[in-house]
This record gives sequence, structure tokens and C-alpha cells, in this order.
Amino acid sequence: MPDDVVFWVLAVPAVASGAMVFRYDSMARATYALLLSLLCVGGLVIRLGLDYLGVVVILMMTIEMALMAVFMVMFMMNPAGLLPMSMVHNKRGAAAVSAAVFVLLAAGIVLAPWPGRRGKPDADPTMALGESLMGPHMLTMMTLGLALFTTIVATVVLATGRGRYDRFGDDLCARRPADPVRPGARR
Amino acid sequence: MADTAPVWAVVLLPFALAAAAVLVAGFDAVLAAAAEGGRPGRPLRAAPAPLRAGLRLLGQQPRRTTAGDPWLGRIGIALVPVAAVLAGAVLPWGFRAVTDPVVGVVWFNAMEALAWAAVWLAGWGPNSALSLVGGYRFLAQGLAYELPHMLALTTAALGAESLRVGEVVAGQRGLWFAVWMPVAFAVFLLSALAMAFWGPFDHPLGRDAAGGAAAEYAGVDRLVLLAGRWLLLVVTAGFSVPLFLGGGHGPWLPAWAWTLLKTAAVLGLLVAGRRLLPTLRMERYVEFAWTVLVPLTLLQALAVAIVVLER
Amino acid sequence: MGLREALRRIGTRHPAVLLAVHPGGTKTRLAVEAGLRRRGWPVAASPAAASGLLVVGSGGAGAGEWTDALWRQLPYPKSRSAVTEAEGVETALDGLLRTLTAPAGAGVAGHVGPGEGEARGRLRAGPGGHGAHDAHAAHLPHAGPVAGLPMAERADDRDGLRLDRLHLPLGPGLADWPAGLVLDVALQGDVVQHAEVRITAPAAEELPYWDEPWLRAARGEEVGRGAAHRRCCAAHLDSIARLLAVSGWPDPAARARRLRDAVLDGAPGQEWGAELGRLGRRVRRSRLLRELTAGLGALPGARARRFGVTGPALAADGDAYDRLLTWLDEAALCAAGVDDDRPLAPHGQHDKQGPRGRLDGPRPPSQALLDALPGLLRGAEFTSARVIVASLDPDLDELAVAAHG
Repeated sequence: MPDDVVFWVLAVPAVASGAMVFRYDSMARATYALLLSLLCVGGLVIRLGLDYLGVVVILMMTIEMALMAVFMVMFMMNPAGLLPMSMVHNKRGAAAVSAAVFVLLAAGIVLAPWPGRRGKPDADPTMALGESLMGPHMLTMMTLGLALFTTIVATVVLATGRGRYDRFGDDLCARRPADPVRPGARR
Repeated sequence: MADTAPVWAVVLLPFALAAAAVLVAGFDAVLAAAAEGGRPGRPLRAAPAPLRAGLRLLGQQPRRTTAGDPWLGRIGIALVPVAAVLAGAVLPWGFRAVTDPVVGVVWFNAMEALAWAAVWLAGWGPNSALSLVGGYRFLAQGLAYELPHMLALTTAALGAESLRVGEVVAGQRGLWFAVWMPVAFAVFLLSALAMAFWGPFDHPLGRDAAGGAAAEYAGVDRLVLLAGRWLLLVVTAGFSVPLFLGGGHGPWLPAWAWTLLKTAAVLGLLVAGRRLLPTLRMERYVEFAWTVLVPLTLLQALAVAIVVLER
Repeated sequence: MGLREALRRIGTRHPAVLLAVHPGGTKTRLAVEAGLRRRGWPVAASPAAASGLLVVGSGGAGAGEWTDALWRQLPYPKSRSAVTEAEGVETALDGLLRTLTAPAGAGVAGHVGPGEGEARGRLRAGPGGHGAHDAHAAHLPHAGPVAGLPMAERADDRDGLRLDRLHLPLGPGLADWPAGLVLDVALQGDVVQHAEVRITAPAAEELPYWDEPWLRAARGEEVGRGAAHRRCCAAHLDSIARLLAVSGWPDPAARARRLRDAVLDGAPGQEWGAELGRLGRRVRRSRLLRELTAGLGALPGARARRFGVTGPALAADGDAYDRLLTWLDEAALCAAGVDDDRPLAPHGQHDKQGPRGRLDGPRPPSQALLDALPGLLRGAEFTSARVIVASLDPDLDELAVAAHG
């Protein structure tokens, strides 16, 4: 019974604030509605007995939303989201795509032949998770990690307007890079 | 192995943290009065200044700003002390914490991240340029401190081979982690200051931006934000004790006394040390954090990992 | 109600005071700062943080507008007072306290007028910079003002992106800011894209406080060199205190202010000379301060000369940190000469140099500093801009006199 209460207390705000993301006309409100939704999901994951994953969801999503605020500020010097804006673009296409995805996932949930539970959950799921990642799935994780890191570096290289030749001169001999802001660490 | 404290500790925790915060703020006020030198020889009389300021703010009318988002701002303000108290829940007093979950260290970190989002929200709310400048100074600060901070936390957890705070304390029965993980300890102290946006990291509330994120708040709003900041400082500084300074371990005295003594020492060091340094600006600090602190903490973690594997 | 009343009284006994300084009020400001320090009252950095507003000096016509705007932004209970003479400081501070500690319901404290207590967020530091500029908002669904505030427009930023920008008046109500100075800046994020100096210095009756000895000597009055050195030393200490305060280093800033007051009080040199040396060593020893201020607002000698800059800013031949060191050097030099009894020679080459530059030129030295300012601010972050302004520390009292005569 208490478990059910906790489930509904977390599940309803998770869905409701997720929906509010598309209702609010302020970037900050939308961001934090999304954060609330994800925090509730983190709580649900903890309720499943996966403490580590749940807390990490809370941690990472909070940081992620804060980072989103960085981009928000970078692109608009517009305190308090004075300017009403819509979080919905390409309404018809988006509705079609999301409906299709929903139907697909729901059909999957209903139609999939879910296996019955065999054995018991591990006493320490955190340890089990770590051993699984660092043991049988080590190669996958290493490849994934490297691929992600490469993507980040490649994106930054492609996005930056000024390369090292702009910063250090054609022969890369400049002692101090020609940056708009003087960096802190001495080189 | 730490036990969980009785239920009344849950009620007591916020008050204990608040009392500690008032004491620390009073100590800071005394140092400030001594530096100001208004009435020579009487800086001690400034000790109740934080309480007086609190009373003043309680009697004040809150302020509204044009076209602001007051509720969003207030959520941000309220989140600061709430995050501090929630983080404080895993803080062991002696060997007992209000709660000691298996992932206590990660929980602590997650609550601090909440404070990160909160200050930005508080700065955004009033629809004021200077207040927003303060708010995103804290975002930049978060980008600078969060990574070295996580690595420092990881190092301590690695040394104890557990994410449970009680076991981290137990792992220091013989030797404090501060002794063989000095880099992680120093980085943790730095990031504790940064997280509480206090001391040389007070740029988000900087005087130069007319108080930054707090610039537009008066009355209870202001009180909650500023008091929340002291709570954060107490909690983050207090967490260095179980992580690096052996928690309640120590000869002769009972465990709670050792915790109190060590926490007071760390807070005293941080509060007094602040007066020696000017405010750090993030556009200069962030590069130091990423090119010096991150590699250093990585090396520290590597060294600890090798020790752990070999023992 | 007895306890509540008592608690309220305790809370208001040390009110935070916001200073609104008019140009020409330097002497009074110094007395106010000393008075606040004696009482242990904090100086507020923004209207929201203050319980009392103290208007320092007397502005000319229209100067009441921005102080009224500040006053409206203070939260209740609040109290306001004005002081024009250094002698009236104690009375004014007592008056502030009396209104605040008066039983609730008396005076202005506790009353809420219509529309009061509401602050216009973006306006908070300035005397009304709104409305004049039109929002370039063709791309926005809701072009035009929202809630009476103009929307941000867009422009290229320093990295070549096209981002929103916001027009904002900085000053004159900021802490540690030259009295009377308003900078109209265009901000992108917190990067200053463009800055324009707007001066609100009205004609003043008196000579500018920091330049007084030299100007009086030039008029033919007899002024001792010692007095001039004293004034120069104190002027530099005042600038140093501001720069350190803006850099977020309150302790040495307080020390510099205390020294400044001791110097102006006429205390003999041996009483404060050693302390001045200690302050200088303390500031010079801080590698962190150097790292934080070096490279900000670089004004090489050649460029400074083109703007007509004289005095320490020219002698520094470098950035904000160099100017700080020059102030320290010159303050020490001046301190050595406070016991000089010879009169100031109005036509001597070295006796026309006030704290901010040569006073016999066609324009007051601070005008040159103000001319150099916008170029230095372009592309600087908000904080860096504050440091740059503090490192030049133009004295608008000088312009007030220029307007006068």
C-alpha cells in the first residue's frame, strides 16, 4: 500500500510536469518542468530498488538542465523569459511522430512475451551493475565511451569558429593565444 | 559501520544546522568587523550581527519586480536551504547519520547539484539584468567546480570501496584519507566553497553586480537565500570530515565531539582563509579548474585506485 | 506585542544604508563612510538590501529623479535622509535610525503606498534608461514592449554569433562607483558590446574636493605642499579602496579606507606611514590579485596620450593592475611629503599635478579618462568592466566645475 502511494505520488507529477513543458511559454519554466518530471522519474527508479541509478538520474538531470540554462542565457539576454515563446514547433509533424512512437511502444509493452522472473534480485544492485558494466559488458562500454567522447570533440571542432591557426598565428608560434578573453592559467 | 540515528534526529537536523550556520556567520561577522576597524578593540560585539540582520529581514516587506517570475524565483530560493538540509541528512554525527543509504556519497552530490540549479533560478526570477548576471555566474562556477568535485568525491569512495558514507568513515579507522589523498581533500575544500557560493567564490552574489542573484530580494526571500547559503557552507564543509578527516575517529573524546571539533576547524579555516583572498572570477578560474585541477584529481584517483588494488 | 516590538527594534538598530552620492559630494561621502564605520552599519549594495537611503551631496535640477527611483525600490520599512555638509552626517544618520525604530505605524515605516515597493527590475541601477530605444524585434512573435519594458534586440556578438542584446544604464546608484557617472551599455550575456558615457554632473559651487589644494594655489591662495600631498595620498587610497572592493577583497579595501580617513584627519605621518607600507606590501604580494586584474583595460602610454590622459593612468602605461601599483607608489611618495611646509608654487612644473593628472590643461584630467573609457570597455565582461572603471576612477566633481566656470 505505501509503495502504491509513493508510485502514484511520483508518477502523476512526472507525467503532468512533462506535459506542462509544452504548455508553458517561458523557457525557464519549461526547463524546470522537465527537470521536475525527470526528478520524479529518478524517484521511481529508486523505488524499483535501484538506488544508484535513481540518484544518478537525479544528479545528471539536474546538471543537464542547468547546462540547458547556460545555452538559454547564451542565446537570449532576456531575463525571466519576458518574451512569451512556444515550446512546440512543427505541430502537425510532431504530433504524428509522437503518436506513432507512442502506439509502437504501447503495442510493444502489451504484445511482447515478457519472461517470468527467475531467481532473485541481487543483494547489492549497485555492485551488480558495476560488475556487469566492468565485466561482461566492458568492451561495449569502452567502445561507447570512446565513441561519445569522439563525438563531443568532433562537434566542438566543427562548431568552433576559430581554430589554432587563428589563435596562435599561421606558424603556431604566438606565445599567447589571440583570445577575446585572457585565460586564467599561464601557458 | 554507522547506525542510523533515531527518528527525532530528523527533526533536530535542520535546527542543528541552522545553529551551526548562525555561529559560523557570527564568527565571520567578527572577522569582518575586525577588518573594518570601526570601533577598535570591540569587534566581538559584531558577533550577533547575523541574528540582527535576520530580524531586520523578517520585519521587511518582500519586493516585487516588474514582469518578473516571482514563483520561479521563490522556488529557486527555497531550494537552496532545502538542498542543504537534504544533503545534511547523510552527514554522520559521530558514527550516526539521519540516514545512511548505500549511495550516500552520490546522494550528497545530487543535492548539491540541486543548489546549482536553484541559484540560477533565483537569479532569473526577478527579471533584472544584474540579478541574472549573478545567476549565470553561478552556472559558470558550476562548470568549473563540479567536475573536480565529483572526482574528489569518487576518490574518497574509491579509497573506502563503498559509496556508503558510514563505510567511508569506517575505512579511515587507521589513517585519514586527507593524509594519503591530499589533492582530493584540497579540491574538495575548494569546491565546498564554490558550491556554497561563498568566500573567494562569492562572485554570483558579488557586490560589483549589486548583490548578483540576491540583488532584487528583500525580506523573507532574502533571508532564506542568504541563510541557505550559510547552511550549504556548513554542510559541505562538514562533509569533508567523514570523507577525508576520519569522521568521528579520534582518541579520548567521544565520536560526536571529534566530529564537532573537526567540523569547527574546517569551517574556521575556510572562514578565516576567505579574508586573505580576492574574489575569483570564473572566466579566469575555469581554465585553471579544467587544465590543472581535473588532471590532478584524475592522477590522485589513479594513485588511490592502484593502492586499493594492491592491498 | 511587547516582544515583537522589541525584536523589531533590535533588527533595525544597525540598518543597512544605501548611499546615493551626487557629484560634488565627495567630502560629505567620506564623512558618511567614516560615520557608518563608527556605528558598524553595513553599506548596502542594492536598494533591496537596504533599509535606509542616504542622499549625499546636492544635485542640481533633475538630480532628484534617480534618487527617487532608488527610494521607490527600497522595501518597507524604510527611511530616507539627505546630507549635504560633512558636519550634518551624525544628525542625518540619527534621523534615519529614528524613523526606522519609531513604533510601527509612525512616519513612513510600515506604510504601503500604491505602487510602492515595486521595483522595475532592469531599471534598478539607473535613472531611467527605458523607452527611448526601439526594439528590433521583427523576428519575434510579440514585437514591442512587454509589461512596459522594451524587448532585447539582436546583434553580432564577439564570436560572430547573432545574439540578443540588452541596453542597460549602469550607475549612478552602484556601490563603489564614481558619483554621477552613468554608462549606457549594450550587453550580450554579460559581455559589454558597446558603452557610452553619460555625465550627470551639474554645476557645483565648490572646488572639486580631491583637486582643491592645487586649484586654490592656481587662484593665488597660499597652500602648503604638505596639505596637497595629504590630499593626493588620500585620493589614491580612496581609488585603491574602490578597486579592491570591486575586486571582491573587502579587508584591504577597509584598511585603505581607514588609512584614507587617518590621512585626511591630519594625523602625523609616523602614525600611519608604516600601515601604508604594510597595505602596499599586502596588495603587491597577492599573486591572485595580479592574475585576476592583469590584462584588464590595457591603456598603453601612447594611446593614453592620444586621449590626453595625464597623471597615474599615463604613468602606469598598462592595465588595471599596473594602475593599482602606480596608485600605491604615488600614495607612498605623497606620504613622504606630508610634512613639507613650503607653499605650493602655482607655476612650478610639478605642482600642477592633481591626483588624476595635470590641472592646468584645457580639460579636467577626468574628462580624458572618461574619453578613454568606452574603448576599454568594449568586449569586457560585466565584472571586468567594473574593474576597468574602478581602475581609472574618474572624478566627476572635476567636470562639475568645468561646467561651472
